[in-house]
Amino acid sequence: MNDVVQNIIHFVVTFLFALIFLMSAASILVYLERKIQAFVQDRYGPLHYGPQGILQAVIDPMKLLLKEDVKAASTDNVVFRIAPIIFFSPVITAFVVLPFSPYLTAGALGTGIIYYVALSSIDVIGVFMAGWGSNNKYALIGGLRSTAQMISYELPLVISIVGVVMLTSELAPACAGATPDLTVCGVGSISFTQIVAAQMNPARPWLWFVLLQPLGLVVYYICGLAETNRTPFDLPEAESELVAGYLTEYSGLRWAMFFLGEYGNMTIVSAVATALFLGGWSGPGAAVGFWTGALGGFWGQVVFNIICVFWFVFKMMVLLILFIWIRATLPRLRADQLMKFAWLYLIPLTLLNIFITGGLLLLPVNAGLRVFFSAAANWILLVLMITTFRSITGVSAVGKLPRWMSRSARRPQIIEEKDTTPRVPERGLSGAGVQR
Amino acid sequence: MATEPNLQSALYETGIGGLRSEEMILNMGPQHPSTHGVLRLVLTLDGETVVQCTPVIGYLHRGMEKIFENRPYMAGIRYIDNADYLSPMLNEMAYAGAVEQLMGLEPPRRAQYIRLIVNELERIASHLVAIGTYGMDLGATTPILWAFRDREQILDFFEAVSGHRFTHNYMRVGGVLYDLPKGWLQQVEQFLDNFERKSLPELDTLLTGNEIFEARTQGVGYIDPQQAIAYALTGPILRGSGVDFDVRKARPYGAYREIPVRTVVRQDGDCFARYRVRFEEMYESVRLIREAIDKLPGGSISARVPIALRPQRGETYFAVESARGEEALYLISDGSEYPYRAKLRGPSFVNLQILPELLRGRRVGDVIAILGSIDLVLGDVDR
Repeated sequence: MNDVVQNIIHFVVTFLFALIFLMSAASILVYLERKIQAFVQDRYGPLHYGPQGILQAVIDPMKLLLKEDVKAASTDNVVFRIAPIIFFSPVITAFVVLPFSPYLTAGALGTGIIYYVALSSIDVIGVFMAGWGSNNKYALIGGLRSTAQMISYELPLVISIVGVVMLTSELAPACAGATPDLTVCGVGSISFTQIVAAQMNPARPWLWFVLLQPLGLVVYYICGLAETNRTPFDLPEAESELVAGYLTEYSGLRWAMFFLGEYGNMTIVSAVATALFLGGWSGPGAAVGFWTGALGGFWGQVVFNIICVFWFVFKMMVLLILFIWIRATLPRLRADQLMKFAWLYLIPLTLLNIFITGGLLLLPVNAGLRVFFSAAANWILLVLMITTFRSITGVSAVGKLPRWMSRSARRPQIIEEKDTTPRVPERGLSGAGVQR
Repeated sequence: MATEPNLQSALYETGIGGLRSEEMILNMGPQHPSTHGVLRLVLTLDGETVVQCTPVIGYLHRGMEKIFENRPYMAGIRYIDNADYLSPMLNEMAYAGAVEQLMGLEPPRRAQYIRLIVNELERIASHLVAIGTYGMDLGATTPILWAFRDREQILDFFEAVSGHRFTHNYMRVGGVLYDLPKGWLQQVEQFLDNFERKSLPELDTLLTGNEIFEARTQGVGYIDPQQAIAYALTGPILRGSGVDFDVRKARPYGAYREIPVRTVVRQDGDCFARYRVRFEEMYESVRLIREAIDKLPGGSISARVPIALRPQRGETYFAVESARGEEALYLISDGSEYPYRAKLRGPSFVNLQILPELLRGRRVGDVIAILGSIDLVLGDVDR
């Protein structure tokens, strides 16, 4: 087989894998979300179709496909119809870049992170178009909120990744040899494959970037919640205020595209977090040398890739379940608190992180020490972030102690014994009986 | 804070920077996920800031007071169940108590204790709904299901005692309809143990102390005590504003004359304080039920009353502390079998008045937080 045929096969396999994975992941996630939420909320969740309701994952999209296509007469026809497509297509496209395993990735794309970031910001346009095109006040407010939110959180999301890119300048495998490859070494790489490879260095296979950039992961994950409009940042579709936000006028297949797009977005955010911070496909058994030695070239590669995919999907699922867990637990923020959190807190923090990490990586000591210092600084920043969190988000919470310090103060209070003599308030509205 | 939106809109009207902004009128309700029924709020918005709010009510008006006037006294109990549909037992207490006061009847002690037990159970059930839906309003999906899980058990108790889960039709003028079933009290005690030790602290850890929940509720919707009294607010809202007024304590009725109530008062006056008052009142209700079960006297469950009730001419006003405040019935009798006039003072209706005042100048997100903390029941507003 010549190279062209191999490349075509590679592309077809990767593309089909990504597409099928996306389609099934979204509907499986819907089922998982319902089941996990049901578990948290002390109820059963779906039970009717299949054992434990597992066919709900099939029935749900089917129902949406078969629904009538309702469109209000006063909507902006073109905008209203295009919006779901614009929302959904970047989701599919972004999947191409995800590194499931060494083979199942569009390895040629050296600008993976930029590509991902660019595509993930196209969603905003779809959401805004949906809000505007619906000709509905709730949808309009939802769309505007969503635009503001997604643009704001895009910034810290991107900046939080930069720390990782910086680390690859020290830890990329190309830097290891006596003659470092200067296109990567000292500059850093924005290719997903390179970043995963940097975390799989045979000399230190467990040195995932979450250990060196924990703050990066936390900030990235928070921004990911906001980017995908999940609780506690689900304001655009806050059902208690805005009915369903920009989704209010949508139904049937169009709604399904937003819905599946949202879950697809979640999957992508988790997958990127896995690749950047959690070591990608590295894990027990993901050693190419061992398998090719034991099974020969072809089958060794096959088994190795399957194990890689397993680890990648496993880590991704952990993050996705965390998404669902958070949704089942937390209330949502108010719009202004949300913006305040992004602009006054996350962006300065991530910028500070870049500054510190970058500065420490320039120290004139050996590479190991430099990385160690930057990691230590990052952990300190993380602790700082968690302890000062309340004073930033809270309205009246300025100067409050972190929760672990004031636990005793917030125990349910024992009802005080008060005097129980009946006391009728004074006549009139003078407020005389209001001394307490 | 309150002057800020007006200033902003004044700036916009002059067209600074060529920008012209318009106020938007948003109809919230009557079909809306979180107006707790069919309340309609006409919000005038300037961006996300509420400039004006006009509640429109009456979508659930059933002419309840007129119905009372066209029914014999005893038949009204079935209808008053539906007034505040989250606390039927408390409504029945108000109605039965008013007629008894009008007739000069005193129910037997056992009946009064049973009334106290079911009243406090109903208060717990109602507060659970209030807190659960409040969490739901703020975007937390789990509290409502945990709250309803516990409420379900209380409804089961009501089913056992009255035959109905919801519109109980249990109280009668002069007493209650049925005595407690065998083993009922033990089951209630078991439930209370579990509820107090496990369910309530669980619900507590889910909401209280949650950074987002506190950020949404603390300092939001502040009512100062004078304002609260001027608006005739009652119930957890009044006590959340630091006024120690509880009908059970101020004008004790029934078994509350023998079992004193310790009121829960919070000084903060914001949404969080109201939420805390409701929460701690559930502990207090548990204590009251326990004490009533310990002291439960024997004897008859109903006084001897004539089949056709004909109170003598006169009028009366009888108030009970419902889960939402002072629920009262004003009755005028002309000596016939039918009330000449019946007026129901629904606490939700009175408490709703302060909403426009509280919403002015707040954000759209706060509308729900404040509305939820007032804990309206539209059946009680519209009657």
